[in-house]
Amino acid sequence: MLEIKNLCAAVENKEILKGVNLNVKQGEVHAIMGRNGSGKSTLANLIAGKNNYSVTSGEVYYKGKNIADISPEDRALNGIFLSFQYPVVIPGVNTTYFLKEALNAKRRNREKDEINAADFMRLIKEKLKEVDLDETYLKRSVNDGFSGGEKKRNEILQMLILEPELAILDETDSGLDIDALKTIAHGINQYRREDRAIILITHYQRLLKYAVPDYVHVLMNGRIVKSGGKELALELEEKGYSWLE
Amino acid sequence: MNYLQRQFHALLDHCPDERKEIRSLRKTAFDRFNQLGFPTKKWEEWQFTDFSEIRKNEYRLASGKDLPKIPDKIPGLIPDTYSVIIINGHYQPQLTKLPMGVSVKSHEEFFQFDENVYSLNGNKNPFLALNTALMNSGVSLIVEPDSIIEKPIQIIHLTTALSDQFMNHPRLVLNIGKNSQAALVEHYIGETEIPYFVNPVTQVLIDGNASLNHIRILEEDVSCCHTATTNYILKNDARLNTTSFSSGAKLFRHDIKLDFTGDGGEAVFNGLCLTEDQQHHDQHVIVDHQQNFCQSRQLFKYILADKSSGVFNGKVVVRKNTKQTDADQSNRNLLLSPSALMNANPQLEILSDDVKCSHGSSTGELDDDAIFYLQTRGIDSETAKLLLIHGFANEIIEKVKPISVQDYIHNQFTDWRS
Repeated sequence: MLEIKNLCAAVENKEILKGVNLNVKQGEVHAIMGRNGSGKSTLANLIAGKNNYSVTSGEVYYKGKNIADISPEDRALNGIFLSFQYPVVIPGVNTTYFLKEALNAKRRNREKDEINAADFMRLIKEKLKEVDLDETYLKRSVNDGFSGGEKKRNEILQMLILEPELAILDETDSGLDIDALKTIAHGINQYRREDRAIILITHYQRLLKYAVPDYVHVLMNGRIVKSGGKELALELEEKGYSWLE
Repeated sequence: MNYLQRQFHALLDHCPDERKEIRSLRKTAFDRFNQLGFPTKKWEEWQFTDFSEIRKNEYRLASGKDLPKIPDKIPGLIPDTYSVIIINGHYQPQLTKLPMGVSVKSHEEFFQFDENVYSLNGNKNPFLALNTALMNSGVSLIVEPDSIIEKPIQIIHLTTALSDQFMNHPRLVLNIGKNSQAALVEHYIGETEIPYFVNPVTQVLIDGNASLNHIRILEEDVSCCHTATTNYILKNDARLNTTSFSSGAKLFRHDIKLDFTGDGGEAVFNGLCLTEDQQHHDQHVIVDHQQNFCQSRQLFKYILADKSSGVFNGKVVVRKNTKQTDADQSNRNLLLSPSALMNANPQLEILSDDVKCSHGSSTGELDDDAIFYLQTRGIDSETAKLLLIHGFANEIIEKVKPISVQDYIHNQFTDWRS
C-alpha cells in the first residue's frame, strides 16, 4: 500500500530524512519509534503532502503510484489520513460543519450523494461514543478550547468517520492519561482491518501494549536503524535508544 | 469660495424660515469647520486617511428634485423589523412603521426638546462641525421610558438613481428612555455609480437602566465617501451592544465616542470590516470611563483583500479616582493579499488604580497550518481558505441578535467577493 524508497528531505537546507525505506502492506500495523527530532513528524507530514519540505531524493508510492505531485486533499480523498501531533485550532468553524464538509468531500469524490442530516447525526453519535466524547463538542469550533486529550480523541473521531485506507497517527498517544490512552487504542483497534494499514508514530511503548503493532521500526537521525517485531518495542522500553547509535 | 461655502449659503437661502437658534448654530459650526479644515496627514488621529477626494469633488447638497420614484422594493429591508426609510436624504413618512412607545421628531422639534445634543462642545472633528452646519436629513427617534420594543427598528438611508454628484449630512438622534429596551439597525445602502458623499452624525443617549442593541451596516456603493460620527452617552446602569458591519464605500471613516456618565454601564463593540480593490476603512473608537463599575468590550476585525487598506485606532480612557473599571479592547486583522495594508493602534490611558484592562492587536495572513489541516481532511485549498475566512468573520457574525439581522449580515458576508 505504501512504499517509501530511499527518501531524503530537508527543511530550510537542513537535512532531516537521510534515506528512509519503508514498506507497509494492507492489514499491517507499523510502529515508528524514535526520539524527538529524529524525523518522525517530518516523515508523517511528507506522506500527507505538506509542501514546506524539499524532497532531495527518493520516492513515495501509494497504491503503486508515485505521489510526489499529488495535493494533500487528493491524497486524503484517496485514503491517506494523518492524525496530527498538534491538531490545529480553527476558531469560528463549527466542528459538525467541518466533519460534514470533510465527509462530503470524500463522498463527492466517489460520486456518491452528500450524506443527509439525519444519517450524518446517527453516524456521528455512534462514533462519538467510540472515542468517549459527548455531543457538546460538535457545537464548538474545531479544536477550540479543547484539552490535549480532547484534541487527540477528535483526531481519532475523524479517522473513524472518514474511514481512510492508510492512517498515520503522529504521537496520538502523547500527553494522555491512561484512560484517554485506552480510548485512543480502542479507536485504533476499531479501525484496524484486513484492507487497511496503520502507521503509529510514538516515542513511548505504552500505546503499543493496547494497540499491538506487527512491525516496529526505529528512526534515528533521519534513517531507520532497526526494524523488528512487536518485541522490539519492549526492548527499547528496557534499554532506551542509545545502544542503537 | 469653495463648493462647501456655496452650498452652505444656498442652504441658508433655501430655508429662510428655520429657527434663528438653528441658523446661528449652523453658522458657528461652519466657522468651526473652516477653522479646522479637512484633516491632513499632519493630524495624528487622521494621518492614515486621505480626504482629498471629498475636498476636490464638488458635491452639491441633495434637494427636493433628488427624490426618485420610490422603488417597489426597498433594498436591504430586513424581515420582521419596524422601518424608517430615507431616500436620497428624504425621509419617507408614508413608509415608516414604528411601534407604540417610539416617536419621530424633526430636528426642529427635537432642537426645542434638547438643544445640547447639537452643541459642538469644543469638538475638533471637522466632519461633526460640517454635519452640524449642513445637516439636511435624518430623524430623531425617542423611545419612551419603560418601553420594551420587541422588534428592531431599521433606518435605511438609501442613495439611488442620482443625476449628478451630491452629498447628504444626515443627523440621527436616538433617545432611549429610562428602563427601556430597543434595537436599532442603522443601514446605509447605495445603488449608483455616480460619486456621492454621506456624512452622518448619530447621537445616542441611553438613559438609566435602559439598553440598546445598535447595529450599523455600511453598504454604500464604492463611488461613495462616507465619514461618520457616532456619540454615545450611557447613564447609570445603561447597556449598549453594538455591531458594525461595513463592506461598502471607497472611503469610510468612523469616529465613535462613548461616555459613561453614570455608574454601572456596560458597552460591547463588535466590528467587522471587509475591504477589497482600493477601499479604505478607518475606524477610531474612544471609550471614556468617567464613572465607576463600568465595563467595556471591543472586538474589531478587518478582512482586507487586494490593495485595500484599513485603520483601527482604539483608545480606552479611565479617569482619575474611578472604581472597578473593566475594559478590554481587541483588534484582529486578516490580510488576504500581500498588497493589503493595515494600521492598528490600540491604546490605553489609565489614570486610576482600580482597573482591569487589557488590549491587543494582531494582523496576519491565513494560517498555512490550518489550510494544510483541512486539506488532509480532503477539503481543497480554495474551500479551506474560504472556510477559514468564514471562521474569522463568524466570531463577530454569530453574536449578532436578533437572528433576522444576523442572517442578513451572514448572507451579505457570503456574497462578498463571490
